[in-house]
Amino acid sequence: MSVRTLGLLVLCFAAGGIRAAEVMPAPPRAHFNDYASVVSPATAQALDTKLADFERQTSNQVVVAIYPRFESDSSVEDYSVRVAQSWHVGQKGKDNGAVLFIFAQTHQIYLEVGYGLEGALPDALAKRIISDEIVPRFRKGDFDGGVVAGVNAVMAATQGEYRGTGRTAADRNKGMNPIAFLFLLFIVVVFIITLARKNAAIYHGGGRGGFGGPMIFPGGFGGGGGFSGGGGGGGFSGGGGSFGGGGAGGSW
Amino acid sequence: MGTATKILIGLVALAVIFGLYVVSSYNGLVGLQQATDAQWAQVQNVYQRRADLVPNLVSTVSGAANFEKSTLLAVTEARASVGRAQLPSGTAPTDPAQLAAFQQAEGQLGSALSRLLVVSERYPDLKATAGFRDLQAQLEGTENRIAVERGRFNDVVQAYDTAIRRFPAVLLAGALGFSSRPYFTATAGSDTPPKVQFDFGGAAPAKP
Repeated sequence: MSVRTLGLLVLCFAAGGIRAAEVMPAPPRAHFNDYASVVSPATAQALDTKLADFERQTSNQVVVAIYPRFESDSSVEDYSVRVAQSWHVGQKGKDNGAVLFIFAQTHQIYLEVGYGLEGALPDALAKRIISDEIVPRFRKGDFDGGVVAGVNAVMAATQGEYRGTGRTAADRNKGMNPIAFLFLLFIVVVFIITLARKNAAIYHGGGRGGFGGPMIFPGGFGGGGGFSGGGGGGGFSGGGGSFGGGGAGGSW
Repeated sequence: MGTATKILIGLVALAVIFGLYVVSSYNGLVGLQQATDAQWAQVQNVYQRRADLVPNLVSTVSGAANFEKSTLLAVTEARASVGRAQLPSGTAPTDPAQLAAFQQAEGQLGSALSRLLVVSERYPDLKATAGFRDLQAQLEGTENRIAVERGRFNDVVQAYDTAIRRFPAVLLAGALGFSSRPYFTATAGSDTPPKVQFDFGGAAPAKP
């Protein structure tokens, strides 16, 4: 009965937690995310590759998220800073992330700038990028052109700020993907066991079987490294950056 | 080993356990208290940023032909009173009245600034200048930062206040010198940060 009481308590807490917390959109899987389907697939693909390469070169994480409409009771500037923060865009310690939010049907734009890029991309510049680069094109219905111009301007502004590592945070995470690692480990273990059994059958002793392990392991890990190299385009994973409300918004 | 020795050992063990508890509890509270101080520094930082924008804004705006003098005067006065109400930096405020005074002074500056921006809507020549547009964007961004850092300050203060009021810690917190800290309150009037909303570039209001 005490277990039941406990269970009820846990349920109550869980329910309270759900009610209290606003539902944040899940972290994006790519640098360029068009959930509203307003940008042509070719442009979207090109921008995604470009932004992933930009992260490799500069470590700056620039993310574009286009939603059909703005769905929150709070203001755009308040909502977007909380979403960007929850996605951890930008590298840890550098906080060099920027997120361009576009709400297609409600005609709202917000460029959220992480702490570490506020110097390279101050609010006034963010405002100019929106009102001079993006908004005029959006007004003409040229979503592709507006997004491309906006992304280019953000990249140009933040270009020299940090030095990249040649890999994105997603590349790094792929290298450490726990499932891939467990899978590899499983194969290695099976390999060792098979080898040890063979050796045991041949030599009637455990000594040589023990040697099989260390010889296999480097090869197994090498395979893991090769796995991480795959994927030319992108894949996005937040690096742990933080936001303090920098940036600017606009509408068209 | 006699019964007295056993009891003594037991008492010593209890004392050690209690001592360890006090130490770990103290360290935990110190960490939370430091977090509120650090976040308070951030709050002061963003308010300072806004105060620093004022001279620039005033000089840009007063360049416009016959700009309303009363509005400008209100901003400069509010800026000055903010300077006077500055709290000692380093630690987060412990006195609710002190924080309220700070908040009131900042709130006055905020509403004076938002009035200034509203009034400047009537000066199309001023609005069209790049300098004014940039200042508007900076001011808008600073208001956002203030809202963000204030929110985070309230979060860490809440964590701290909860920790010192939780059951076993509450018995120690007072003796160890931890007192609760006040929050920012979001009430009506001058306390609320000004809502600065503009249709930049003369855009029509967004239609859903």
